[in-house]
Amino acid sequence: MLLGKGRDGVILTVENLEVHYGRAKVLHNIAFKMDEGELVTIVGRNGSGKTTLLKTLGGFLKPSAGSILFRGQRIDGLGPENVALKGIRYVFQDKRVFGELTVKENIELAAYPIKENLEKAVQKVLSVYPRLEKFLHSKAKGLSGGERQILLIGRVLIGQPQLLLIDEPTEGLAAKIISEITAILLSMKGQFSMIVVEQNLATVARLADKIHIMKEGVMFKEITDPEMIRQPSQYENDL
Amino acid sequence: MRMIKRLERSPTLILAVITAGFIIFGYSTSILKITDFIIFCIYVLGYDLLYGHMGRLSFGHMLYLGAGAYGTALCAKYLSSNVFLAILCGILFGAAIGGILGPILIRTKGACFALLNLAFNQVGHFLVLVPLAKITGGEDGISLHFTGYRFLDFSNIHQLFFLSLISLILVAFLIIKFTHSPYGILLKGIKENETRVNFLGYNTYRYKLITFVLSTTIAAFAGALTTLNYNYANPSFIDPHRSVEVIFATLMGGAGSVLGAVIGGAAFMTISNYLPRYILRWEMFLGLALLIIAFKFRKGIWGYIREI
Amino acid sequence: MLQTIFYGLTIGGILYIISIGLSLTFGAMGIVNFSHGLIYAIGAYTIYAVMAKMGINFILGAVIAVLVSIPFSYIIEKYVIRRLYGESIDYAIIATYAVLLIGVDAIKWIWGASPLPISDPVGISIQFLTMEMPLYRLIIIGLTLLILIGLSLFFKKTIIGKIIIAGLGDREAVRGLGIRLDKYFAIIFILGSALAALGGVLYSPISTLHPYMGFHILILCFAVVIVGGMGNLRGTAIAAFSLGLVMAITGRIWGPAAEAMVYVVMAFVLMIRPIET
Repeated sequence: MLLGKGRDGVILTVENLEVHYGRAKVLHNIAFKMDEGELVTIVGRNGSGKTTLLKTLGGFLKPSAGSILFRGQRIDGLGPENVALKGIRYVFQDKRVFGELTVKENIELAAYPIKENLEKAVQKVLSVYPRLEKFLHSKAKGLSGGERQILLIGRVLIGQPQLLLIDEPTEGLAAKIISEITAILLSMKGQFSMIVVEQNLATVARLADKIHIMKEGVMFKEITDPEMIRQPSQYENDL
Repeated sequence: MRMIKRLERSPTLILAVITAGFIIFGYSTSILKITDFIIFCIYVLGYDLLYGHMGRLSFGHMLYLGAGAYGTALCAKYLSSNVFLAILCGILFGAAIGGILGPILIRTKGACFALLNLAFNQVGHFLVLVPLAKITGGEDGISLHFTGYRFLDFSNIHQLFFLSLISLILVAFLIIKFTHSPYGILLKGIKENETRVNFLGYNTYRYKLITFVLSTTIAAFAGALTTLNYNYANPSFIDPHRSVEVIFATLMGGAGSVLGAVIGGAAFMTISNYLPRYILRWEMFLGLALLIIAFKFRKGIWGYIREI
Repeated sequence: MLQTIFYGLTIGGILYIISIGLSLTFGAMGIVNFSHGLIYAIGAYTIYAVMAKMGINFILGAVIAVLVSIPFSYIIEKYVIRRLYGESIDYAIIATYAVLLIGVDAIKWIWGASPLPISDPVGISIQFLTMEMPLYRLIIIGLTLLILIGLSLFFKKTIIGKIIIAGLGDREAVRGLGIRLDKYFAIIFILGSALAALGGVLYSPISTLHPYMGFHILILCFAVVIVGGMGNLRGTAIAAFSLGLVMAITGRIWGPAAEAMVYVVMAFVLMIRPIET
């Protein structure tokens, strides 16, 4: 099936976005465009507004001003359920699997709203990471941090995702698993459009097509030069 | 409006307005009734310290009112004929119960806090009704006859009126002083974000406990005056079903301000004294009014006046 | 002693049936639902009405009572509970308490304020060893066990159950998958309410009906939910039966103190394990 691409191959357009927590303004005038198939990373210190931005794109937070266009359609204020059903899938930070459910049930819950066949969904997740097979019937809370993260990433690949929003996929993981996850993300690159919030600049340098640096709720700097992206030392002082 | 802003900023003006208001209200209607209103306002003020200023909603505050009422009545009946000693006894009893239950209660918040208070109130009500019936008179309560003290005569309704009014002004003054001190700012911090206040290095537990005990003490004071005013104490003074009244009054007036609490207390008493004559289904009315407050009228009467 | 345990299990069973809904509403939506007590009272008064006034038998009456409660809980969910999502818990308590007040007054209006008795619908006791056990109480225990098993199957095997379990742990993550969680919470709210109505039906023959019965049982059930852990289904079951036994044993030693003892136990549990909610 041919994906319904928007004009000029732009998948996401964000304009003048502002977000408040109560009375405090946490995002100021955010604007950017993203092309189909691109992998954009957002970097910045804690509290810079990265996660807030990602959550707003995912529909979890309602912007107080501005707009988000997904292939030319407004999606701001739709709520996370509707945003998800449009094919924008969110991977939370802190490896939030449903701990009380089994791995298979975790997959089942992801397949259910998009009416995907369960066996097909399981195969999809296992194709990303075959080692999960032996855990299919154990509770997800027993998985290691890396396995949980991979389950979460595998889960959003079910069906036909259009845009993946991934929050801190490598945070708090051991080096070996970080490289595994980076490899998985690299293998997905090009197949899906992705926005990845990431603190680990070595990972960013391997993955990104484009880097947005955030600071105190604004888009501070954009890096598009592939040469520069590969050298974190060039921009680490901007954080 | 500038006038309202000025009124809010000046404690003296607030107290003067309250005093004048009640004197006019009292002498234009019925002194006897308005004494009751004033005592209820003391209770609301104490409750508002807990709810309006610290954000803890108790669903069993009648327990502390009842403690004050029964403390006073029991002291007057079995220990001493000195009225002031009896009142002091009631107040201390309320403070003691607050001090005993506080350390358990204050560690919880939200629903847990509300319901635990309710459960303790239920236990207190039960204790008065059954196990302690021999000394509390059970269902019938305790009847008393307060005479005077030196030049004071407590069967004189005017003297009782002014005693209550002075008590109200005293409590209001205390609360204004409290909430305008650094302690009050801490309370506000606890209400808004307790973790942050903790991070700043303050021992929030201590402040919460002090506030809680203060609130129960004020409630007990109101209870003591109620006993004095009615010349009896009965189980309706500690009935958990009535705990909603003070919540209603606090919200109706506008939580978190002295004037709001007093307006709420007076408004609630007016409604509950005059409305049941015309409206048969009083609880239904109360329920509907509470629903409206919860969904549409959260700032209360004073909250709206301020915004004009 | 055996008889005391038996009575405790009966009370515990009924507490369990009523507490599930309360616990789920709290765990899922963070709402303390006082109106739950109203639904319980509606169940009890409906069975009274259909049995005493229309002469319908108990089993059919129970079915009618549970069915009657459904539109009420639907309305409460739609117009009160749903509007309280994400609001401060204080308003949730106040609003649902207001619903209870209105309901209590409506009951007084229709049936009057004085207590009404319902007789044991079975009226047979069976002899077991040295003691006599009313068959009705045995039926209650059996029914509770059925509900216990039924619910655990529901939460383990059905997709709705799994969504609820996931939602109890992490609402945001469920919604992020494209699942309209509020719809499922509404279903579970009505299910929990229907069980409360059933609890009212079952309890009425072994106690009496009065307008404040909902308020009364609610405080007990809150104790169950607090002791068992809010939203923790297994904890709710264990707490219900334990507190039922506490009530029965205390009641045997000194009748009037049975309920007070429950609150004492709750206070102890909270001292050991405070709940920050």
